[in-house]
Amino acid sequence: MPESADATGAQLVLDVLTDEGVEVVFGYPGGAIMPLYDAMVNHPLEHILTRHEAAAAFAAGGYARSTGRVGVCMATSGPGATNLVTGILDAQMDSIPIVAITGQVRTALMGTDGFQEADVTSIMGPVTKRSVCVRDVRDLERILRAAFRVARGPRPGPVLVDIPTDILKARCPRMDHFAARPLAATSERPDDAALDDAIALLRTAKKPVAIVGGGARSANAVHLFRELVAMLDIPHTATINGLGCAAPGDPKFLGMLGMHGWKAANLAVNEADVVLALGMRFDDRVTGKPDKFARNAQIIHADVDASEFGKIIPVKVALRGDLRVTLTHLVRRLADAQLPQFGAWADAAKALGGPLPADRAPNGELSATDVLDAFFAVAPDDTIVATDVGQHQMWAAQRQRAIHPRNFITSAGLGSMGFGLPAAIGAVMAHRDRTVVAVCGDGGFQMSIAELATLRRYELPVKILLIDNHRLGMVRQWQELFYDKRYSHTDLSDNPDFVAIAGGYGITAERVEDAGELRDALERFVRAKGPALLHCACFPAENVWPLIPPGATVHDAMEASPEPEPAVA
Amino acid sequence: MQLSLVMHDWRLLERIVGLTNRLGCAYTNLNVHAGESHYHATIDFVGPPDALRRLDAQLTRLLNDDKEMSR
Repeated sequence: MPESADATGAQLVLDVLTDEGVEVVFGYPGGAIMPLYDAMVNHPLEHILTRHEAAAAFAAGGYARSTGRVGVCMATSGPGATNLVTGILDAQMDSIPIVAITGQVRTALMGTDGFQEADVTSIMGPVTKRSVCVRDVRDLERILRAAFRVARGPRPGPVLVDIPTDILKARCPRMDHFAARPLAATSERPDDAALDDAIALLRTAKKPVAIVGGGARSANAVHLFRELVAMLDIPHTATINGLGCAAPGDPKFLGMLGMHGWKAANLAVNEADVVLALGMRFDDRVTGKPDKFARNAQIIHADVDASEFGKIIPVKVALRGDLRVTLTHLVRRLADAQLPQFGAWADAAKALGGPLPADRAPNGELSATDVLDAFFAVAPDDTIVATDVGQHQMWAAQRQRAIHPRNFITSAGLGSMGFGLPAAIGAVMAHRDRTVVAVCGDGGFQMSIAELATLRRYELPVKILLIDNHRLGMVRQWQELFYDKRYSHTDLSDNPDFVAIAGGYGITAERVEDAGELRDALERFVRAKGPALLHCACFPAENVWPLIPPGATVHDAMEASPEPEPAVA
Repeated sequence: MQLSLVMHDWRLLERIVGLTNRLGCAYTNLNVHAGESHYHATIDFVGPPDALRRLDAQLTRLLNDDKEMSR
């Protein structure tokens, strides 16, 4: 874009955001960022005022996760900026592209412990790809453009740009020549020798299993993943971040892998002689005890980030490069390769597991698993689900039926409670015509409950499916199983009246506690036009099964409590 | 392990030190020279071989982002 009349730094920020294709930003104003908010008056860029900066960061993440585009959040200096930290780290852990813009005290005040001053770039350093303070307005556009490039990849992630008030007020030329500068080295391909090694390994395989992670989605390589596993006819599984990457209804998809994964998935990986790991990072919630994970297998690991190779699990073949490019080459070469038939193994792998084990609810009471089974049965196929963190997250991940890789949104790596509702707000901003549901527990929901006001103000049609078991359920479960039932500070039996609270915000809400009323209530909930809340009062002692205890193996998986609580027995 | 690193933003040293500590490594020698548009650091790291390998890979990623930010 050519230079034109001069602007303020704040106007330049908005011009760059617009030019980068940003449609909406999530934020919260304050003193140091006031010049930017002032420039937003009558500016076409849409701004969503959340009720806490943490929610702005999560919402930017939800927007990015549901679209693949860069999410943008903004906050003022000091506490505004520090409140973004969790949402930014959340994006870092799951490789989600966001750009965070923070106001900073004026340059002359920096380092003086001025009002609402914090060394934000240092605080944000370890939780971002890059964290930069703009000290000269002449650098502003270049830095912002670079922030978008770096956020997008090759491995996406968060970038922070901290802008002092005087820089936002300073005059500068309005846009220059940086706009057209493309991202460097986005299509790296693995070397031919590594590709040859991978093919050779697959040729000798008898029991190969593919694992897909969030990297396939980030690289827009999901269609290639589906093509690859169909061509090979191999069983495949997904990390929680890879859910939705398998083709809908694919009988060779074994379900989610890991601590609370499907039995067939975990057992198949345990029996595999070759594991094809695509865009995943062997998180400890996936591997359990690393030296026992896939102990019979040789690992082919494809990832854009070389630092992931061998980080947790030794790798036989490392395919470093853009996953889309890697899979394109693999598919092309495998089409001409003589490979064994893996169909019988795939059938056997599927048969390794059975249905998900679940605790039974006492007479007439609701179980969370029944609620989620019924919800996924009535929800439209293209529903976007954003979960919070805890038991409900795992139950939802086990049961989700995402037909699209961006339809299941969850805080996987960081496990940030309070994520679900704001992430759904971010998602709905890009998908107003879709059903967007925040599946929350009673703990996490109360961390972001003020965002009901955001739903009301913008009439965002987010549905909140509240799984209320009156406990911090996942911690309670671990206390039951691993801490001799010493329940320390996990009792939320004095929860507030959530229906009344939602009503106070002007949001339609209903409570259901009788299993016989569940189906009709869910039908009404899913079909509600605007924002809505369905408060499901579930029995408190329900656990997530299966569970591979931390540091254990698939053979140690638990499918029921050794000593069930009286309400469960 | 000795690495010669080119940084466009000298504050990257803060990240390098933090990362080194996080991975259970340390540095025994650190030299930094300012050039016209970048900084050249030579750092001697010590630590378990696996951790040093991870450190090397993560520093490469960090420096790539630094290079991109400077464009």
